[in-house]
Amino acid sequence: MKTTVRYFASIVAALAALAPVYWLITISLKREVDQFAYPPRWIAFHATLQHYAEAFGGGSFAIYFLNSVALAGMSTLAALLIGVPAAYGLARFEWPRRWDQRVGDWILSTRMLPPIVTIVPLFLMLRGVGLINTLAGLAIVYTGFNLPFVVWMMRGFFDEVPREMEEAAMLDGDSRAGALLRIVLPLVKPGLAATAVFCLVFAWNEFLFALILTQTEAAMTLPVGIASRVTQYEIQWGAMSAAGVVAMLPVLVFASAAQKYLVRGLSLGAVKG
Amino acid sequence: MKTRVPAGFAWVAPSIAVLLALSIYPLIFAVKVALTDASGAATFANFARLAHDRVFATAAVQTVLFTAAALAVEFALGLALALLVDSLARARSLFRAAILVPMLLPPVVAAVAWRLIYNPQFGVLNGTLRRMGLNTAALTWTDGDSSALLSVILVDVWEWTPFIFLLLSAGLQAIPQEPLEAARIDGASGWQSFRDITLPLLKPAIVLALLLRAMDLVRIFDQIFILTQGGPGTATETVSLYIYRTAFRFSNFGYAAAMSFVLLVATVMFSRSLMKAMKTR
Amino acid sequence: MRSLTIAVNAGVEGTALKTAAQEWGSSHGVRIEVVELPYANLFEKVQLDLTSRTGAYDVIMMDDPWFPLMAANGNLAPLPREPDSDFIANCLQVCKNGATYFALPYVGNAQLFFYRGDLFSKYGLAPPQAWDDVLHAAKTIGAKEKMFGYVMRAAPGNAVVADFMPLLWAFGGDVVSTDGAAAACDSAAGVEALRFMLELGKYSPPGYAGFNADEVSAHLLESTAAMSINWPAWIAAMDDPAKSKVVGKIEFTTMPAEREKGVGELGAWLVAVPSASKHTSDAFDFVFWATDAAQMKQAALRGNPPTRRSVFESPDLVAKFRAFPTQLRSLDSSRPRPRTAKWNEIENAFGIYLSKANAGAMDPAEAMRRAAQAIDEILKRTP
Repeated sequence: MKTTVRYFASIVAALAALAPVYWLITISLKREVDQFAYPPRWIAFHATLQHYAEAFGGGSFAIYFLNSVALAGMSTLAALLIGVPAAYGLARFEWPRRWDQRVGDWILSTRMLPPIVTIVPLFLMLRGVGLINTLAGLAIVYTGFNLPFVVWMMRGFFDEVPREMEEAAMLDGDSRAGALLRIVLPLVKPGLAATAVFCLVFAWNEFLFALILTQTEAAMTLPVGIASRVTQYEIQWGAMSAAGVVAMLPVLVFASAAQKYLVRGLSLGAVKG
Repeated sequence: MKTRVPAGFAWVAPSIAVLLALSIYPLIFAVKVALTDASGAATFANFARLAHDRVFATAAVQTVLFTAAALAVEFALGLALALLVDSLARARSLFRAAILVPMLLPPVVAAVAWRLIYNPQFGVLNGTLRRMGLNTAALTWTDGDSSALLSVILVDVWEWTPFIFLLLSAGLQAIPQEPLEAARIDGASGWQSFRDITLPLLKPAIVLALLLRAMDLVRIFDQIFILTQGGPGTATETVSLYIYRTAFRFSNFGYAAAMSFVLLVATVMFSRSLMKAMKTR
Repeated sequence: MRSLTIAVNAGVEGTALKTAAQEWGSSHGVRIEVVELPYANLFEKVQLDLTSRTGAYDVIMMDDPWFPLMAANGNLAPLPREPDSDFIANCLQVCKNGATYFALPYVGNAQLFFYRGDLFSKYGLAPPQAWDDVLHAAKTIGAKEKMFGYVMRAAPGNAVVADFMPLLWAFGGDVVSTDGAAAACDSAAGVEALRFMLELGKYSPPGYAGFNADEVSAHLLESTAAMSINWPAWIAAMDDPAKSKVVGKIEFTTMPAEREKGVGELGAWLVAVPSASKHTSDAFDFVFWATDAAQMKQAALRGNPPTRRSVFESPDLVAKFRAFPTQLRSLDSSRPRPRTAKWNEIENAFGIYLSKANAGAMDPAEAMRRAAQAIDEILKRTP
């Protein structure tokens, strides 16, 4: 295909990808009467921040936003604290009869459970310990989701660090944990960062568990808040789109920061490149 | 340096404990619920009902249709885009970044954006078509019985083609250039070298992409929930949505659990093939 | 700090309660949190809270058909005192389980028949008393004016069932038998009612088989349709110059008759207190306050259809809301949907076949047969 055709096609693809997002942004900035206007106005319209002010200024969305931030942070931290040692344990120690592979596979397989399968039992379990509609309860559930991912991702990174690194330190009298902290972790910092980003994004985007396990502002997250604006008779476009735009910004920022590891993180299997 | 297993196990134990509590125990609990009736007695009734449930059959068929159609289109488009962008001399990362955006959005946000776009009276899609002179009275997108499933598939294609694009792009970049150069010198056409060299080398990435995507498609929930809630009627109801409706609208947890189990079995079959495919590389 | 969490419907029905709650909260020093949810999700969240006794909500709003299911198993707290007799009887009936009251009616919604009074006068048509009159008027107006004679909603689910019930009842049919044990929609009367609905559909805008409430009202407001069944909540919009092209032209009357007296479907919204709530005392204080005559009057001024006779008959309100006498008559003669804990599933199944018939995808007799089959299955199943 001629070069110009190829560039043209690429531009069309890029536009097709971005147009709906752009449209969402314009809806969030338009006055209500303009949102429904015909013909649709893509560029020239009267912009207003009223929807953002309504939704976030003293509205529930500010609370949903903070909930989402807290939740993403807590569950990522917990998953890293529990998962990184596990990844290290699988990567570094001798395991008989390839148990490390089996354990690793088992841990990974739990990630493949469809959420709808465990949602009702988890609801009942959390209710039993009084953690329904709490950020802590939801954070625990999210940690369970992120954990296999952390273990799998970090194991790959640990495998790439030569054993000699911490062996040298341990010969000098350092403990294994100390060697991990002082020598190995700094070497896998980029991997840790990428893993953290994936966990944050997962918690930020998650919907089904938040929908069922939260009931009031105490724990409702941004995706749930957005969904609750989709009513039967009228859709509150302004609030919904403003919240949607705010919801997507952190993800785009984080993703661009971790783009080098996007493939690895998404593919659950290093596509050696 | 060799260490006895117990030491290594201690590092992994907390993770295993957490996963047992949060994934395995709920699973066992769900099976128990599926095998219990309202009064607490053990029964196979839920599974028996599943065998005759026409609504479940419809949901299963719709899930398969949805998965197959979305997968086919996403694969074709994703491959085409990967080849296209890979062949560009300049601005490759710019195009790539733009194309990846839909995949990074929270699925709820993507669904909300498309819901606005699809609105038959006020949405920009019908608005633009009307502007171009088309009569949009029949274009009901997600509101129409026959067009709803297609409309939902379109949203998934928009959102997740970038995923396949990304994996295949990475795969393409890993392909060594020498065989292709040699083929070109030998006079092979673009199509021939694609078919005989590129495609076989790309196969692992393709299999990976297809399996991963298929697994996610089978349990799709978020987008359809926002776009149509499974409607109109049951036109876009996939298995996940039927399970959700049975559990939370009809309060029948036992039956929902039975269906979840079936869904789980299907997913496990996918993931087994996925694991095997990942190993044979 | 004392607090109350209130779950309301995200929409016009919930607005009045929301405002009342915030007022009560600030005057009593109670922190109010309002959780607004769309219809289907409100049902799911409230039902889950009730059955699992999580006590997340202290006051809940429910559509009256939900009551039999939600009041079961002692999930709702019984009212500490009997409601007084100023409440409209039909509205109170749906708040009772056995002899005990578990809810109070807040939004007095009973279906009305909306029609273009000006066009009826123009063509010498008397206000419709029977469905045959409606059909005749639809033909006449549709032929002579550039508009559709009738408009209705036939989207699967709650939409089509709500618009079909008055027809079904007028022809003498019903969804389930009187003892509630078997489906009854496939009777001759039922099939006839559905055929009549399709007949009316010929004079309705194409695509009505996918319409919901806002499409129906949009057609009336834009003067592209002349008649419809509708809810009182829409009356305000009809007379609002900012939204309506037919200010003052729409008339309201009670549901037309046919073989049986005309009956509007009752669609009241009730307020109740879950038994697992940790603030039942404050919750009941609020609920009784919000439903007393003075507060109901305030709510009525904000556009909420009341549930008290005195409010409907209050002279200054009647002067302000010209449809009040008709609304009261409609409420007095209204009929609730079948009272069964399985209504949700039944409405769901029934709605699918009704909508298919209206879309021309199924013969009416066949649609009713399949619907009856599905409903029987649902009724036979032990929960």
